[in-house]
Amino acid sequence: MAEVSAVVKPKPRPIIRIGLFLISHSLFVSIVCCIAGVLALLLLPVLAKNTYISENALMPGSASAMLSSDDASDGHVFLNKIMSISSMSKNSGIEIPELIAKHITESGGEVNYHKFQPLSDSFHPLQFFVGPDAGIVQDNYSSTSYGVNTVGIVRAPRGDGKEAIIIVTPYNSVKPTTSEALSLGVAYSVFTLLSRVSWLAKDIIWVAADSRHGEHAAVAAWLRDYYTLSSGDLEHEVTSVKREGVSNGFRRAGTMAAALVIKVADSSTGFEKDGLKIYAEASNGQMPNLDLINIDNYLAVHGQGLQVRVEKIWSLLDSWWLYSLGELQELIGKVAKSLNPGWKFGIPASDYVEGCATLASSLYNQALGVPTGPHGAFRDYQVDAITLEFSPRFSSSQRVLFLLHVGRLVEGVIRSVNNLLEKFHQSFFLYLMTSPSRFVSVGIYMIAFALLIAPLPLAAAALFSDASKSKSPGESIPTSPAWNWLYAAKTVLIVHLWGAIVTIIPYLLHQSPDSSPLTSLSMWIASSAILLFFTRAASGSLPFSRASQLQTSEWTLLKAVTVATAFIGLCLMSVINYATAEIGALLLVPMCLMAVPLRADLKAKTMKAVVRGACNLLLVFVGFPPAAFLLSKVALAGFDRVRLDDFWNWTESLREWNSATYIYICMVHLPCWVLCIHILLHRR
Amino acid sequence: MATSFKFKPLTISILLLFLYNAIASSASGSSSTTMHTNNWAILVCTSRFWFNYRHMANTLSLYRTVKRLGIPDERIILMLADDMACNARNKYPAQVFNNENHLLNLYGDNVEVDYRGYEVTVENFLRILTGRHERAVPRSKRLLSDEGSHILLYMTGHGGDEFLKFQDSEELQSHDLADAVKQMKEKRRFKELLIMVDTCQAATLFSQLQSPGVLAIGSSKKGENSYSHHLDSDVGVSVVDRFTFYTLAFFESLNMYDNASLSSLFTSYNPNTLMSTAYYRTDLYQRRLEEVPVTNFFGSVMETIHTDSPYRAFSNRYYRKSKTEMPSDQSGGGNRRALKDLDILEELADPKLNVRPLQSTYLLVHEG
Repeated sequence: MAEVSAVVKPKPRPIIRIGLFLISHSLFVSIVCCIAGVLALLLLPVLAKNTYISENALMPGSASAMLSSDDASDGHVFLNKIMSISSMSKNSGIEIPELIAKHITESGGEVNYHKFQPLSDSFHPLQFFVGPDAGIVQDNYSSTSYGVNTVGIVRAPRGDGKEAIIIVTPYNSVKPTTSEALSLGVAYSVFTLLSRVSWLAKDIIWVAADSRHGEHAAVAAWLRDYYTLSSGDLEHEVTSVKREGVSNGFRRAGTMAAALVIKVADSSTGFEKDGLKIYAEASNGQMPNLDLINIDNYLAVHGQGLQVRVEKIWSLLDSWWLYSLGELQELIGKVAKSLNPGWKFGIPASDYVEGCATLASSLYNQALGVPTGPHGAFRDYQVDAITLEFSPRFSSSQRVLFLLHVGRLVEGVIRSVNNLLEKFHQSFFLYLMTSPSRFVSVGIYMIAFALLIAPLPLAAAALFSDASKSKSPGESIPTSPAWNWLYAAKTVLIVHLWGAIVTIIPYLLHQSPDSSPLTSLSMWIASSAILLFFTRAASGSLPFSRASQLQTSEWTLLKAVTVATAFIGLCLMSVINYATAEIGALLLVPMCLMAVPLRADLKAKTMKAVVRGACNLLLVFVGFPPAAFLLSKVALAGFDRVRLDDFWNWTESLREWNSATYIYICMVHLPCWVLCIHILLHRR
Repeated sequence: MATSFKFKPLTISILLLFLYNAIASSASGSSSTTMHTNNWAILVCTSRFWFNYRHMANTLSLYRTVKRLGIPDERIILMLADDMACNARNKYPAQVFNNENHLLNLYGDNVEVDYRGYEVTVENFLRILTGRHERAVPRSKRLLSDEGSHILLYMTGHGGDEFLKFQDSEELQSHDLADAVKQMKEKRRFKELLIMVDTCQAATLFSQLQSPGVLAIGSSKKGENSYSHHLDSDVGVSVVDRFTFYTLAFFESLNMYDNASLSSLFTSYNPNTLMSTAYYRTDLYQRRLEEVPVTNFFGSVMETIHTDSPYRAFSNRYYRKSKTEMPSDQSGGGNRRALKDLDILEELADPKLNVRPLQSTYLLVHEG
């Protein structure tokens, strides 16, 4: 036995052999994986599943709506009162809150005003890690510019008072538009109905949010105070017992089960029926539980006959290549069905294009990390919330009918959420929508991402083993290859540190008095470039410089480390915000994998080398964040609409909303891009 | 017997003890020949939560039916896992309906819930069946049946292949049920047992039963779902399941004196209206279903035999042949329960226990 085992070479374990095999064929594997990853992304609309209501307790639509046309006409009367105040010349912004408060009290609810001042724009790059800081309580209502939210509460007659459902209607208290008044009318008619019903198990809070300083700011301010125990609270408890009616103390109900933001669009956009548009994306690509969207969609379509939409990128609808892709997959689906009737895939080409446009919008909005409406403020407190934007197809005479339909929908959603026993937890939190009733869940969309980034570690390993095998013969100092990579790692680390500084530069620029976006952008770019130059010079003078000079030929090692850091950065980002990581991987992975010194390509002068060099230049150009942004803008909106300073505004909005995407761009994407250029310009 | 008189009194008493034992063992050996003397019903709703309103309505409907057909409250063990009547979501506080016409409030007067809320557990359920309670458990929460008892066990909730979900956390498996029934049989806690289950895949729940005298009917076969009958859009929930709805419809026309047979009940289920196949298991049951009136289980109607001299009955040593008149509704509970177990023999040995006042005109037959 011992002899036999001595003769047979000990075989490594299968998993190691597979790994070695993949590394030795990394080029082929990389190409296959990248193409598969892109294909999988394009196939997502086909793989999307129909939504279904996962939580048994919800039972949407099982109860008939109780909102009568009387309630709707009450809402209409209320609306007219608001409009008459709005048309008055002198309006200090307190008349409408007073009117709302009076009506809430009359219908039997509790009411209070919530005065707030919008927080100044502040940049908290790490806020997405720690959540909104509830500690800030501002007391200096010095100026007259504070907003007044009116908050009405209906207590559930037999409920335990531990949970609440929120209705939010943002409106401008100085000059409300007709559509804002309509949303107030809807909320009022629902609120009066709910103050009468006997089936409430959760309290109802109606927040008429003053949107003078922005819708999101008003809601966020209210939420911040709701979750902060201020010293005034206890005093208020005493006073509120004494006198009923409107108080300035802060009223609370239980934890929030769900929140609905009700808005009415100014003009109907191409809907045949009364339409409903659902916005769900909150900060950093967080989504509310899919069940909340499902019940809205179900009740709107089956209950009130509304036409439901989610956002989509309209310009994609006309793209010929998407349509031909759609026709291709339809054809494949038909062929597959003819081969085996059990195989059912493939959707009509037009559906595919629609799905792609919606998916792209869903992906983009999540990647942006900026909430698409006031509901985003709720998500920061882990409350499921969506914005329902109704677009009436009415002449003003049919307003009562519109109020009736929308009011019944809102009532239905509230009754369904009221049935809930726990937080929303059954359905998905990680998903992309391809239509209001179709979604792609995390288990499927991660495949596309995983395929895209799978080549990165393989390429890194392959490059590393290449570098350690092929020693240039001229080298005098025998250095262990195991340590060579440290020099490359140092370069990579320095560039990433530079990326961190670039992240902060706009904050410093912000301190300077008002400058145009274009100058800010150019200053940002210029200062970053200068800084990069200096860091490079400084790192060159470090004690290690001699050793690193010797190893400069080893660009493969540098590429290996770059690819590895790109992999780590993308993986980290996919945990924080999948959509950013996916879009980032689409740009970053080909760029990192292709990078080869241009000189080498020029020397080789083969067709393959020239093509590779051209590809490299193109990828590096597209990979530059402003270029990528402006190019996609041109592709979607047309050339004439795009201005150069858009990029500055875009990044500024990312900063304002504390989007992790901004940090990703500056600290992962940009350093990798610089390193790729470094490799391209390598002397050899 | 005659020879025993020749011995000393001590020996006589020993022999008498033997005699008792012999009688007792013969009784246990032929429990199928003992007479049907009383009826019990265990009605179980195993599921919580507002959206399972219908399960509570099912159980309460059955409760009303068996009460109407003559099983008194103290012999009904009602287990309700949740309180729909007082749920904040209930549009009609303190009322439960099983029909959208709202004609009948199931939660009206005189509903005695024995186990409620989180008391409804698999453990408590098995304790009720097997009679192995903690000492502190009151008599009203115990199944004090004997070998002359006909027991109706009705269960509704969410079931699956060979299990029934209790609350939101645990399950009763078909083995557990079969085991408990076997113990009941050995302890002579029933003469006949009708298990009626309204769940999905109900038929799987009694696949493990082995004990004779057990009849089982389920709302659906393996792989089938049981469906709710209709939705009350006013209350906002489904209010009754199909199987129970049609069972109730069958009993609606019956009163205590009707002789409708079990087979007429079992064949009344139409798979098309039920949307599942009602399945019944009769291989453990000796009698022909055509000859068994439904009131044998769903009511408390049994053969009565008149005796002239009730007071003499228990003073007679050959009490097994005698027929005792017993009150059934008022103080009768005490008597009946006292006579239920093997320790009856000891109790009977004490003549004081045997003489009891008579208040009722009903005749109930009891034996040791």
